Amino acid sequence: MLFIYIKRIFVGFYSILKGLKVTFKNIFKKPVTLHYPVVKQPMKERFRGMVDLYPEKCVICYQCIRICPTAALDLGHKVLEDNKTKNITKFTFNAELCCFCGLCEEICPTDAIFLNKMYEVSYFDHKDLLSIDLMSNQKYKHVDGGVS
Amino acid sequence: MMTMVLKGLSALGFIAVSAMFLIWLERKVSAWIQNRLGPMMTGFQGTLQPIADTIKLLLKEDIVPKGVDFLSWWLAPFFVTVPVVMAFLVIPFSSKWIVLDLNVGVLYICSVTSLCVLGIFMAGWGSNNKYSLLGGMRSAAQIISYEVPLLLSVLLVVMQAGTLSMQGIIHAQAHGWFILKPQLALAFLIYFISATAEVNRVPFDIPEAESELVAGYHTEYSGMKFAMFFVAEYTNMFIISAIAATLFLGGWQGPWLPGVVWFLIKAYGLIFVLMWMRWTLPRVRMDQMMSFAWKVLTPIALLNLLVGGWFMLK
Repeated sequence: MLFIYIKRIFVGFYSILKGLKVTFKNIFKKPVTLHYPVVKQPMKERFRGMVDLYPEKCVICYQCIRICPTAALDLGHKVLEDNKTKNITKFTFNAELCCFCGLCEEICPTDAIFLNKMYEVSYFDHKDLLSIDLMSNQKYKHVDGGVS
Repeated sequence: MMTMVLKGLSALGFIAVSAMFLIWLERKVSAWIQNRLGPMMTGFQGTLQPIADTIKLLLKEDIVPKGVDFLSWWLAPFFVTVPVVMAFLVIPFSSKWIVLDLNVGVLYICSVTSLCVLGIFMAGWGSNNKYSLLGGMRSAAQIISYEVPLLLSVLLVVMQAGTLSMQGIIHAQAHGWFILKPQLALAFLIYFISATAEVNRVPFDIPEAESELVAGYHTEYSGMKFAMFFVAEYTNMFIISAIAATLFLGGWQGPWLPGVVWFLIKAYGLIFVLMWMRWTLPRVRMDQMMSFAWKVLTPIALLNLLVGGWFMLK
């Protein structure tokens, strides 16, 4: 009886020491979390972030506008006097309607429209979210480290 | 007289800085053990985080809940904090850095620190909250139970040193720390376990078990009153480690480095062990804790006292 009692005390202490060993080893391991706002997690290859555009590549074929299931994109153009060259007058993106399906990226014949790696998609003003000007260079610059 | 006042004030300053450092260290140790980063934004590696927290707590509203027993509720934080500060009277940081070397130092520190339970129980009773009351009652039961093996293990040190003065005990360890003697090594183990329970730390954090009792006895406190409980808790941790360093690890004695550095290394080393245990072990059940105190620690401490005393007489 006494022997079992003493043995249980020893087994208890042994298991505590074993647990302490496990946690002590963890102290020297590399942290698995990031120092977030300063260091950011790079997104994976197929991550679908905000819709983005290379304006110089766009041929104004309207494929993206037709395929968009939620009509989140809006494109307008004008034909110049030579009746050949087209110019984009506006190309806006409504982030509130977008379902991030990536169909526009798939259909685009020149890879002008694409989904970038941006994941910090909150805005200070709701209105800014409704018509993001894809032609602008500053479109996603308001978010620190935004990919454009 | 003047020097004593200055020494006392510097002890107060040390309490504030030490508590802040310990709060930061606790968060960092927990982060390291859980492979996280911990506080990083305020200052280098988040070192200024406790200061930011203190400012936040100072600016908070002091809420008085409905139906509290005002006097006992209001006085409780002071009853918890004052004994903690009083205990610093006899803690020897080095051969000269001690506020007052009482000839009954050990007795004084044991009696003063056990006053804390009064404040905790007042907080539990005065808060008019079931969680607070349960926390306070559990704390009282726990602290009183673990006082017995704690004092029995301290008694053996006093028997070995032949004095109750803290400096006297350190001088008695000039030719070898007490922890190196077999009967006193066991006493150290018993002391350390009981002291962990005394300061309500994991695995004996039953009085403030988050998953059952919200925050235990300080559930209803906010702002500076909560900060006082917090400071008392962390300073208590320093006190038990400082006593352990003094009684068993040779206090400020050590080669090359100055005494105060040795003392702080030993004390903070023991605090690190306490934190390390906190982030390793789960909480024990109430009945397990009580039976451990009365059925395991107390008999072993008594037996240790008997055997150790017999060896000393021989």
